[in-house]
Amino acid sequence: MQEHKPVFVDWCPGCGNFGILRAEEMAIRELGIDPKKVIVVSGIGCSGKIPHFIQLPIGGVHTLHGRSIAYATGIKLSNPSLEVIVNIGDGDGLGIGMGHFVHAGRRNIDMTVIVHDNGVYGLTKGQASPTLHRGLKTKSLPRPNINDAVNPISVALSAGYTFVARGYAYDVMHLKDLIVKAIKHKGLAFIDVLQPCPTYNDINTKEWYDKRIYKLDNDPTWDPKVKSEADQQTKFERAMLKALEWGDKIPIGVFYENELVPTFEERIMQNIPNYLDYYPAKQEIEKNGESTTKIDELIKAKRV
Amino acid sequence: MIGGAQGTGVDTSANIFGNAIARAGYYIYGNREYYSNIKGRHSYFNLTISDEKARSISHKVDILASFDAETVFQHYQDVQKVIIYNKGVLNVEKDRIQSIEPETAERIPFKTVKDVIDYLESKGVTTIGIDYDEILKKVAEEMKLPLSVIDRARNTIAISASYDLLGLRKDYLYEALKRTFKQETFVKLNLSAADKVKLSPIFNLKELPQKKRRVQIDGNTAVAIGKIYAGIGFQSYYPITPASDESTFIEAHQEVLYVDPVTGDKRKRTIVVVQAEDELAAVNMASGAALTGVRAATATSGPGFSLMTEGIGWAGMNEVPIVISYYMRGGPSTGQPTRTSQADLLFAMHVSHGEFPRIVIASGDHVEALKDAIWAFNLAEKYQTPVIHLVEKALANAYSIVDLDELGGDIEIERSTIGDDNERFKFTDSGISPRLLLGESTVYYTGDEHNTFGHISEDPVNRVKMYEKRMRKLETADKEIPEEKRYNVYGDLDSKYAIVTWGSPKGAVLDAVEELDQKFAVIQLRMFNPFPKSVKKLLEDKDLIIDIEGNYEAQAAILLKQYGVEVTNYILKWNGRPMGRDEVRDGILSAIKGEKRVVLNAGN
Repeated sequence: MQEHKPVFVDWCPGCGNFGILRAEEMAIRELGIDPKKVIVVSGIGCSGKIPHFIQLPIGGVHTLHGRSIAYATGIKLSNPSLEVIVNIGDGDGLGIGMGHFVHAGRRNIDMTVIVHDNGVYGLTKGQASPTLHRGLKTKSLPRPNINDAVNPISVALSAGYTFVARGYAYDVMHLKDLIVKAIKHKGLAFIDVLQPCPTYNDINTKEWYDKRIYKLDNDPTWDPKVKSEADQQTKFERAMLKALEWGDKIPIGVFYENELVPTFEERIMQNIPNYLDYYPAKQEIEKNGESTTKIDELIKAKRV
Repeated sequence: MIGGAQGTGVDTSANIFGNAIARAGYYIYGNREYYSNIKGRHSYFNLTISDEKARSISHKVDILASFDAETVFQHYQDVQKVIIYNKGVLNVEKDRIQSIEPETAERIPFKTVKDVIDYLESKGVTTIGIDYDEILKKVAEEMKLPLSVIDRARNTIAISASYDLLGLRKDYLYEALKRTFKQETFVKLNLSAADKVKLSPIFNLKELPQKKRRVQIDGNTAVAIGKIYAGIGFQSYYPITPASDESTFIEAHQEVLYVDPVTGDKRKRTIVVVQAEDELAAVNMASGAALTGVRAATATSGPGFSLMTEGIGWAGMNEVPIVISYYMRGGPSTGQPTRTSQADLLFAMHVSHGEFPRIVIASGDHVEALKDAIWAFNLAEKYQTPVIHLVEKALANAYSIVDLDELGGDIEIERSTIGDDNERFKFTDSGISPRLLLGESTVYYTGDEHNTFGHISEDPVNRVKMYEKRMRKLETADKEIPEEKRYNVYGDLDSKYAIVTWGSPKGAVLDAVEELDQKFAVIQLRMFNPFPKSVKKLLEDKDLIIDIEGNYEAQAAILLKQYGVEVTNYILKWNGRPMGRDEVRDGILSAIKGEKRVVLNAGN
């Protein structure tokens, strides 16, 4: 086997992505999953490079702008034994890829989506991303942003994500814990990671965030986990309300967690009970060039 | 030919009719024409009955069966021998039929249905008026059901009348009816309607002893069955005409019987079918699936394929074996959603930016459609690149009766070699590197230029080598794929006259040539990339090379020119309707007489 040198991590010094990278690596190690079985899928932008930078022998799939969730869907459903983690950028996943982001919620596939949320398109020199708030004029904007920002948390909640959380790139341990929870969660998990861009976002800086961020866990009455059907409505409403909190105080932690919704894999199993035993990647489709699939019944139905 | 308003069961009854004829031992080729509309617009089914394999339709027909007024107005020029019409619509005026498009109505020089019928009689066409309402009333009384329920049997009356004209035993029709309708009431109702029609035969067809088992298969189903046999594990799609029926068929059969190659146990295996949110997702889901080692595909038409261009480029860059079944319909843009076309050949050949091998194959009939679906997967895996399988609407929504043994034969499943290290894009002489599967190896993919490990690399020397490696696969494919698999030769190769065609016109061309005294060498192109260069040799010293295809630009001829073949004449069609053997025959005759560019325009 050829040894390859670790890839040089070419993010800017001080980039929030470093925190996400470390937290993700630590989470994978902590869970003790065979790294080969961990597939990190990403889109385009600074965040998109993360699969190449992870210092573990994982499977990495660096895809197209906005399309990572679609690739991840194909990977996970063909081989449900894999642990699929999707890293999207805010422009990537919530701009050009917003359609996929929303529709993923309808399926509730058992995987994790992490958004690197810094309010700017870094790699193309700092244009406003969909999460940049109206009126803000970050460094390279010629005029203040006249678009409103999307709220990743409330979009994820309404789309149907069954685990919705927010982390902070500079609180690596807290973020690591969130990622561990997200991976363990049965269903589609989402983590919005607030991440300063030291080069292009001179407004939402580390100092700006440090003053505002607080942890939901610190409130002993905060319990985001849905435990029964009856619980669902109230927990969802509380999460939605909490999602609106932004400004002087910004909550991080788990907003909502619901394992009562069947996963897409379970929905397939309602039609085909042995799906998980003989999922597509496990099937030997030929023997000595001969197909192992029998189509006699299909042909018979077409006989005249 | 049978016509009627869409959503009133024209399609079902045409299928029943065809099935009955097939039971009597005949071959059939049938084509369905319809508007992009759910209910109310004019649709029709045209079929050829033959004691030999039927391969095409003729736009001029012997029998026209109708039960509404529009069909009479739309098709009066098509019918040559017998028209069956509804007495109840004789006084309907053309201008009162809202569903006729104004451009069409303008060309029809008659006021009422009666005017048309009188005209046809004067032309020597036998006209048979049927009192549909009277028959339906009787059925309703007999069945004790409201007329609204019985109304759908109108079609059955029309096909029963046409069937009588053929002179075949009616049992076959009854059997076909019984097989189609699942509910007892509907079986009874339709049998009763069919039984109330009694006409004397005009054509006196004899029953043919069937020696071989036969199947009735349409293009969408043929491709779907081919894919299932090939071992497909994942299909993603976004609804689009005329491709969706393929995915729906696979979804309906997503649990297929399979024999475990190790234990020999019979069990069910799952084909995951995902209806994606758009075509970008559809093609990319398929790529993701393919990375796990699964045979993965999508099916689409022009507008969807346009959206897939980006994802096809990624698959090319990452050497992902995906299959795209591309059902061509009329473009540009939404174009003619339910009509056929061959105008996307060059688009398929050059889809997505940058250079990478795109393998492009095209099926000419239903048997080829099934086998090519398997071939497409083999090619995709061997050369680790996207394979585009071209099928047209004219095949997707047409059906053939084929002998069962035609579907068997040399269908091998060829898979790629799987490696066990961590160099996914290892440099090799053939350009083909052993694949590494997600979950089994540490492996990296990126749409950026990459090194042998799949990590981003902008190094100029690596760029040149990796680029060449990818492109070399096409040269390897060109060396390995036998030329004779890439085209079919029919007719007399020594003739000084040649015809080149591809895709669905194949059947019409072969049938047209058979009707002519002049001998032709007919070449049907089946693979466009890598292109079979030996075609040049076959066409050397020909006095006449006629290119026949369904587009304006003569796109296959453009490719032929690139490979040294100068076409002398063109027969082209882009009105959205399939080529009929009658118009192709006339076109060939015009070409022989010296017409350089014949444009066909038959069909309604």
